[in-house]
Amino acid sequence: MTEHLPALVFLVPLATAICMPVAGHGRKSICKPLALLAVAAMTVLSVASLWAIVSHGEVRYSFSGWEPPIGIEWLADPLAAIMLVGVSALGVLCLLYGAAIDDRTHDKHPIPYYTIVLLLIAGLTGAVYAGDLFNIFVFLEVVSLSAYALVAVPGGRALVSAFRYLLMGTLGTAFYLLGVGYFYAATGALNIADLAQQVPALLGSKAVMGGLIFMFIGLAIKMALMPLHGWLPDAYSDGPAAAVPLLAGLVTKVALLLWVRILFWVIGAGEAQQASGIFTLVSSLGILASVGAACIALRQQDLKRMFAYGGISHVGLVLIGLGQANQTGLTGAVYYLLNDAVMQCALFMLAGFIAQRYGVRSLDDAGRASIRNPLVIGTFVVVALGMVGLPPTGGFFGKLRILLGTIEAGNYLAAGAVVVTTLVTLGYFAQVLERLVRREGDAVPEPDSGHTPWALHASMVALAAAMLGLGIWNDPIVKALIDATGGLAI
Amino acid sequence: MPEFLDAALSRPNLVAFVVLLLWGLYITITHHNLVKKLIGLYLVQTSVIFFLVTTGAKEGATVPVILDGMGPVTADAYVNPLPQVLTLTAIVVQIATLGVSLGLVSRIYRKFGSLDEDQILAKLE
Repeated sequence: MTEHLPALVFLVPLATAICMPVAGHGRKSICKPLALLAVAAMTVLSVASLWAIVSHGEVRYSFSGWEPPIGIEWLADPLAAIMLVGVSALGVLCLLYGAAIDDRTHDKHPIPYYTIVLLLIAGLTGAVYAGDLFNIFVFLEVVSLSAYALVAVPGGRALVSAFRYLLMGTLGTAFYLLGVGYFYAATGALNIADLAQQVPALLGSKAVMGGLIFMFIGLAIKMALMPLHGWLPDAYSDGPAAAVPLLAGLVTKVALLLWVRILFWVIGAGEAQQASGIFTLVSSLGILASVGAACIALRQQDLKRMFAYGGISHVGLVLIGLGQANQTGLTGAVYYLLNDAVMQCALFMLAGFIAQRYGVRSLDDAGRASIRNPLVIGTFVVVALGMVGLPPTGGFFGKLRILLGTIEAGNYLAAGAVVVTTLVTLGYFAQVLERLVRREGDAVPEPDSGHTPWALHASMVALAAAMLGLGIWNDPIVKALIDATGGLAI
Repeated sequence: MPEFLDAALSRPNLVAFVVLLLWGLYITITHHNLVKKLIGLYLVQTSVIFFLVTTGAKEGATVPVILDGMGPVTADAYVNPLPQVLTLTAIVVQIATLGVSLGLVSRIYRKFGSLDEDQILAKLE
């Protein structure tokens, strides 16, 4: 039974998504609990799968018994298992939040809305598990198509943002597929394990290097790496409040995880690989993105756009960690990626909640409103600590390892970029926090619009608790990541 | 330079791929009509699919269907079937993308009454 867990984790949301139109026909109220139930069941299964993988080692799952290289293989290693616990748990919290928030655009058509959300989660699961480059392409496209549709849900401005996202994203997947084609032409293999044996010897080949660059461009668009981030701020600030936490927390982070897979599981980080310059490229682009996006975030008036740029700058930080090509940097980057998923999710939940309840959308609004809700302020303080990277949140330990990795590699420019990004991040969060808590003479009294649904508070507090938990129990998670990456050539 | 030209002319299929890809990108970037942008995007995707098919092609080879199934199979007589299988999946993905994008464009048209990027942006202000 346990050997089929990876397939079950994927099939639960997919099967529910397919059954949703039939189950919801005529009784639309069933859609919401059904979706929540499916993702909750998926969370239980993914925790069980993580348990099985930690105790029995990684699973290579071959569909219908066809062994690779003929069959399709899924790679269920500790990295994928940890990421999936994050994906499914965040999925549950985002669905709870989305069901409770007063942004009712999706309530008129719950069947397509929840079908798309479940397809998104199933696609993310497939992308994390996929053991060959072409399957990664297919699942990436499933995720992207669902994301375009979700961004467009509110109509109006969001339609144009979604169209822009679609143009950029489709070019991204086309470039990624082109890179896969180059790899196939050069090696005749698509499976990650097969490629890992052939590619390191072929790094001098223009086809392999070109393919790698094309895949990087494609994934860079998906992860919103700084010069290619144009779609993200619009899509996330115009998208529906109910679904944006899910998109912000998971879609870009899974694209980053796929790049980690290709960079370390296919290419490897030995001497020859470092000489090829790909790690220098990743590290330099990371420096540019982290400092550049943090500075743009400092200048934003709109809260959602500020948080979106904060997320873009954190993508740069993760790439800095990866680009050092040592284990400290890699584990720090992956750990930070997990934390960043939680933080982005929490930030967009808070932004959506205060926009809907208090009408706070920009910095000026934040100065005028008086928010006395201790849970909201408390969650915001914890998330801000995490984004800046202060203990005891998980953000601190991830950033610390990234910084140690840069020093280990002797790359002091990158170390400086991490420090500068931290200071600028502190700058824009201090700005928001100061305006949120400052009591002004002409403060508008807190609107008394009934009680807040418990699910809203529960989902935000759970994320704040998760960030503290990731910080307090960082030791076992980082150790598991070190074990997971121990077999790599670093 | 002649060396480069020789290399290009000996592989006309790859030249066709590059021309299609750049043409598609050019249309996507320069045209202001949303549907024309989609046509450019479709051209980019098609060029990538064309590239995949062309990696499996061989001179003098035939479709990869083994008819008698008896004698030994000579790999040189058949084109590589795997890129063609990948292509099928990629075409399905392309059609799905096209469906979603046309759906979006039709909603944009109903909302803003125009397909021109400049007019839509002017209405957004």
